[in-house]
Amino acid sequence: MSNLQAPRAGAKEPSGLRYPTNGKTIYHRPLNRAKAAELSGASFAYLFSEMVSYASKKIESIQDLEKRLNVQGHPIGLKLLDLLLYREPARSQTRPLNIITLLHFIKNNVWQHLFGQAADGLEKSSDPSKPDEYMIIDNEPLVNRYISVPRDMSQLNCAAYVAGIIEGVCDGSAFPARVTAHSVGKQEEGEMWPGRTVFLVKFAPEVMERENFLGKG
Amino acid sequence: MSASKAARVGEEIWKGRVDKVNAELVVLTYGTIVAQLCKDFDSDYVQVNKQLDKMGYNIGLRLIEDYLAKSNTMRRCSNFRETADMLAKVGFKIFLNITPTVTNWTSDNKQFSLVFEENPLADFVELPDDGRAQDELWYSNIFCGVLRGALEMVQMQVEAHFISDVLRGNDTTEMRVSLIRYIDDELPPEDD
Amino acid sequence: MSYYFVIVGTEDNPLFEYEFGTSKAGGDGQARFPEQARHMNQFIVHSSLDIVEEVQWGTGQMYLKCVDRFYNNYVSCFLTGGNVKFMLLHQPPSSSVSSTSNPRSSTSTIATNPMSPQTEEAVRAFMLEIYESWVKTIMNPFYRVNMEVRSPIFRQRVAAAGRKYL
Repeated sequence: MSNLQAPRAGAKEPSGLRYPTNGKTIYHRPLNRAKAAELSGASFAYLFSEMVSYASKKIESIQDLEKRLNVQGHPIGLKLLDLLLYREPARSQTRPLNIITLLHFIKNNVWQHLFGQAADGLEKSSDPSKPDEYMIIDNEPLVNRYISVPRDMSQLNCAAYVAGIIEGVCDGSAFPARVTAHSVGKQEEGEMWPGRTVFLVKFAPEVMERENFLGKG
Repeated sequence: MSASKAARVGEEIWKGRVDKVNAELVVLTYGTIVAQLCKDFDSDYVQVNKQLDKMGYNIGLRLIEDYLAKSNTMRRCSNFRETADMLAKVGFKIFLNITPTVTNWTSDNKQFSLVFEENPLADFVELPDDGRAQDELWYSNIFCGVLRGALEMVQMQVEAHFISDVLRGNDTTEMRVSLIRYIDDELPPEDD
Repeated sequence: MSYYFVIVGTEDNPLFEYEFGTSKAGGDGQARFPEQARHMNQFIVHSSLDIVEEVQWGTGQMYLKCVDRFYNNYVSCFLTGGNVKFMLLHQPPSSSVSSTSNPRSSTSTIATNPMSPQTEEAVRAFMLEIYESWVKTIMNPFYRVNMEVRSPIFRQRVAAAGRKYL
């Protein structure tokens, strides 16, 4: 907060933006829409595949590419967190205080909003040495529906973009985490769902510390 | 096909034959693409416009098939005026659920404007207040590339660019589209 | 009543500041902080941030009400989902405080009494209205976390909310 007192160049500069003569700006559009507006799935598919192919340039590895997709999703998570909270009715307009509430918010609110349905599952890691790991499961991620991954990139899961969105929601709400997308469709339980994807959410140590502390209080 | 028929066709396809997703998923995705380009190109907006146009061109090349299949119009448009109506009332309708107005034709019928009363891609957007973005960046420039790519696939070479945008403080969002020539059938278009 | 409103980012950096006075009870909307105390506003709000960080894990409510008091200064807080803090410092004119022996029975409450239930509700409405404009601000794809808000329209919205509720 030391910079609260620091003189801030530019803080009092008037904005240089021009607006249309009707005065309409982003502040004039309502945030609540009576009915959720829709666009074609194809328009999303085309944009998303351009994003993926642009991100594929000059990469060193698949991990590199997934990292880039994650980075593109991250700011969307930050934005959705408050957009969706804003749209909640007053009594349920609450900030998540613990991991479970946060993950339910992601599994239900975020998924429902972006993909039209809740995620298919939410699990805690069964490995007792990894209490900081949780899994959000989507049997058929919408973002992969239209994407055909080239054979030389078979390791790639474009849902890394969604992982970035989840990470943005976690970071924004003060539950810093690393989120990665993993294809598990080829494993036994995934046979019915070849595109089944697990989003592995690994929370930062300070989140676990706070969780333990608050749990005891 | 007449303009009013095209509008009806567009509406019917949108209602019955289009797989839909939440608009905000698309809008936020486009927003993050443009913001990332501005970052990657260090706010060189001329380069950002070019890259958006290029992405649009790639999309246009692929989108035309989807469009032809959905609209069932294997027949070629009889003239450029009909093409313009189909673009606005069927093309934009079935992908973005909007119908820009076709207007400002030149007397030789080779140039027209698309005026966008609404533009879902620009929802929530205010351009960076850096003294340049409002003079240099065409936020929705991807549309220009889409048109260029899609029409090239049906043997029309066009040039498209925005001449105004409410995001720049203009009162309208208007794109100018010019027919350069009809491409001869014998050579398939180069795919780069 | 004089108000100092500041939006504080996640690194405790100020993103927006606005001073105003009450428009209730014939108020003209001008802030009347004593000149020598004015520079203290930022310090007082700053020191309240620690309290916010304690309170915020005890309740999921976004509106945390009045979180701190420093002499004749009262600090209310609204916390967004993204952990951005809307801080409102309210300072009643010193004369009205001395004349109000029981703060809960004062009549012209919003204009003079920072602790009345009416004031608490008015501040909530004020904060919620700003939250709407805030969400619109951060939805912009060019808005990055902890960027200063310079839009004159945003400023107008804050001013209008102040006139309407406070």
